[in-house]
Amino acid sequence: MISRIKIDPISRIEGHLRIDAEVDGGRVSKAWASCTMWRGIENILIGRDPREAWLFAQRFCGVCTTVHALASVRAVEDALKLQIPPNAHYIRNIILIHHALHDHIVHFYHLSALDWIDVMQIPKADPAKTASLAQSLSSWTRNSPQEFKSAQDKVKALAASGQLGIFANGYWGHPAMHLPPEVSLLGFTHYLQALEFQRKSNQVVAILGGKTPHIQNMTVGGVGNAIDLDSLGTLTMDRLTMIRSLIDEVIPFVHEAYFPDVCAIAGMYPEWLNIGCGAKNYLAVPDLPTDGSVSQFDLPGGTIFSGDLAGVKKFQTAADPDFRHAVTEDATRAWYKGGTLHPWKGQTVPEYTDFQENGKYTWVKAPRYNGRPMEVGPLANVLVGYAQGHPLTRKWTDVALGRISAVARRRVTVDQLQSTMGRYAARAIRSAMLADLAVKHCELLTNNILSGDVATHNPPQFPKGEVEGVGTHEAPRGTLSHWVVVKDAKLANYQAVVPTTWNASPRDSQGNVGPYEASLMRNPVADPERPLELLRTVHSFDPCMACACHTFDPDGREIARVRVL
Amino acid sequence: MTKVLIAGIGNVLLGDDGIGPFAIKLLEWQYDFTDNVELADLGTPGLDLPVHLAGADAVILVDSAKFSGEAGDIRLFRKPEILRHPSRARIDPHSPALTESIFLLELMGVMPREFLMIGMQGSRFEPGSTLSTPVRHCIPHIIDAVRRELIRLNVWCAPKTTVKAPGTWWDSLRPKTTGNALLR
Repeated sequence: MISRIKIDPISRIEGHLRIDAEVDGGRVSKAWASCTMWRGIENILIGRDPREAWLFAQRFCGVCTTVHALASVRAVEDALKLQIPPNAHYIRNIILIHHALHDHIVHFYHLSALDWIDVMQIPKADPAKTASLAQSLSSWTRNSPQEFKSAQDKVKALAASGQLGIFANGYWGHPAMHLPPEVSLLGFTHYLQALEFQRKSNQVVAILGGKTPHIQNMTVGGVGNAIDLDSLGTLTMDRLTMIRSLIDEVIPFVHEAYFPDVCAIAGMYPEWLNIGCGAKNYLAVPDLPTDGSVSQFDLPGGTIFSGDLAGVKKFQTAADPDFRHAVTEDATRAWYKGGTLHPWKGQTVPEYTDFQENGKYTWVKAPRYNGRPMEVGPLANVLVGYAQGHPLTRKWTDVALGRISAVARRRVTVDQLQSTMGRYAARAIRSAMLADLAVKHCELLTNNILSGDVATHNPPQFPKGEVEGVGTHEAPRGTLSHWVVVKDAKLANYQAVVPTTWNASPRDSQGNVGPYEASLMRNPVADPERPLELLRTVHSFDPCMACACHTFDPDGREIARVRVL
Repeated sequence: MTKVLIAGIGNVLLGDDGIGPFAIKLLEWQYDFTDNVELADLGTPGLDLPVHLAGADAVILVDSAKFSGEAGDIRLFRKPEILRHPSRARIDPHSPALTESIFLLELMGVMPREFLMIGMQGSRFEPGSTLSTPVRHCIPHIIDAVRRELIRLNVWCAPKTTVKAPGTWWDSLRPKTTGNALLR
């Protein structure tokens, strides 16, 4: 029997992601990903001063503010061929590392951990056993029986009150949930601890960026931070020391709580290392430049096609010539006019039709790389680095695979990361790398300043006539690119190709499905009324149907409606 | 001393969704506060909201809201009114997360003691639009509500003796304005 499932988040003014799936014999046989929100924010930028574009761009999305600010100034700098001082790179890098760490921690604990942890099993756990299990996994200092007991008491109190709050909607008791109660308690306790470390990570961004969530220090040509080691109100040695001590507090949580938690949970759900493989084509751009000339990067980029790691192609520059030419956006199946266009020629002209599974069905265009759908995100980032033999990627990937294999009691290979659980593991691997790199870039900045270089900005000069640029950033959700056309110092075109556009892309003119759609194929669905398995796979990408119009709705009911048709 | 956070929520690029951030700017321009009061434009933080609320003793949020009222009407919500509504299944981290944030902060034991949300009914939310006229006219009601709450909390605030001319960088959303003032 074929049943049809529709997961449709009903929010008020904006829509978000809608998933339609046909399930045949307990497995998904067809899937459609649709974004139900009109997204025409780029049009606001046309005609503006390119130097102020980043201020608007960082409001595209309330969670990914920093990444749009960064891609925007990089795009204009690329158009002007403007190099920026090394200090500006390091300051930007420290900000983006801490934004990413914060974001990855939120994703795992607050968006998706409860897809795997059955909260209702927690009261059955033995806190002492949980502590000895936790202590066998890592040396995290907050793994005491008292910590676990106190977290468990909170769940018991909630269960007793009947007011489950945020846990009221979980798929508790679902047949696909099978963690031992002790592991559930372990993950849940760290879920409660996570907020503290997100705040510390966020403080680093605030010290350098002036404010969060909307940083103030970005500028075309560098950063607005003045450096004077002896003067108040600038970036002083005191502030650098404060940043370093915050980094030293965040790192242990990443290395000793988040990373081991993900490895343990992955090892206990080994079947999910064989489910949810997506487009099998991967794209990542290099990021975290380590020198002023932007020739060396701490995060490598490149492409992989058809899951063939040996055939990886490496990008040498932040916006590689290949990348500049290969990217197109196909509007055939999206609610826009126009066919397939390069972003510099891109248009955002709506043509709404209603959901037509054989026609147009989403507000997301289909980005393609030489005509192929590409998965972006931490998995792409890790696979591209691993395939190139990048030492830091290899180090943490091998540690993760070893831990997962030990728990699963079977050998788990790097190829199996091309899966739903692999995306969670890759995000943890990337976080472990970023924690190491946070220290490195803080030291690069401090040492460069101590050597006497205090430059943070090179003023931009706008030529007469038309120039094009692309700014890239390997953001928490994957490759982000802003494409600008500047004519006589004004923006003549602006297109943002965001990570979720790549991943949530619809079918294209050739009928190729996008990465979400591909990853849902063959997903098991034990109970169509409670499609937990589909949420696990969609959540593994960390969806970002950005630029949400946020209005509090006191009369609102459920936001996600599951309908079996 | 009571640590107070007054925060605006909303997207300034989407018309009346920018009510919250706009009200915060007005407060910054027109009033003086003591050091224990922080004003913040939080944009649309979704699941990041708890990060910003934790650590305050009292929180006053300003947001656009949807209830059966006219554009510019305001309604005040305390914690119980917000918690009365069921929390929502979540597909991404961006959807509004007020109920979820309060539950989470309570669970973690860091929920601010005092909580008020001032919601104003908006009317237009298209990308690139500015605040609608009824909303713009009614913003002083929000300012009054904030001031009343501060009095209740026994927190000082007073009108500035010299008021800066209002204007926000996103005001240049109005067509044909070039906003080089931004770069000063």
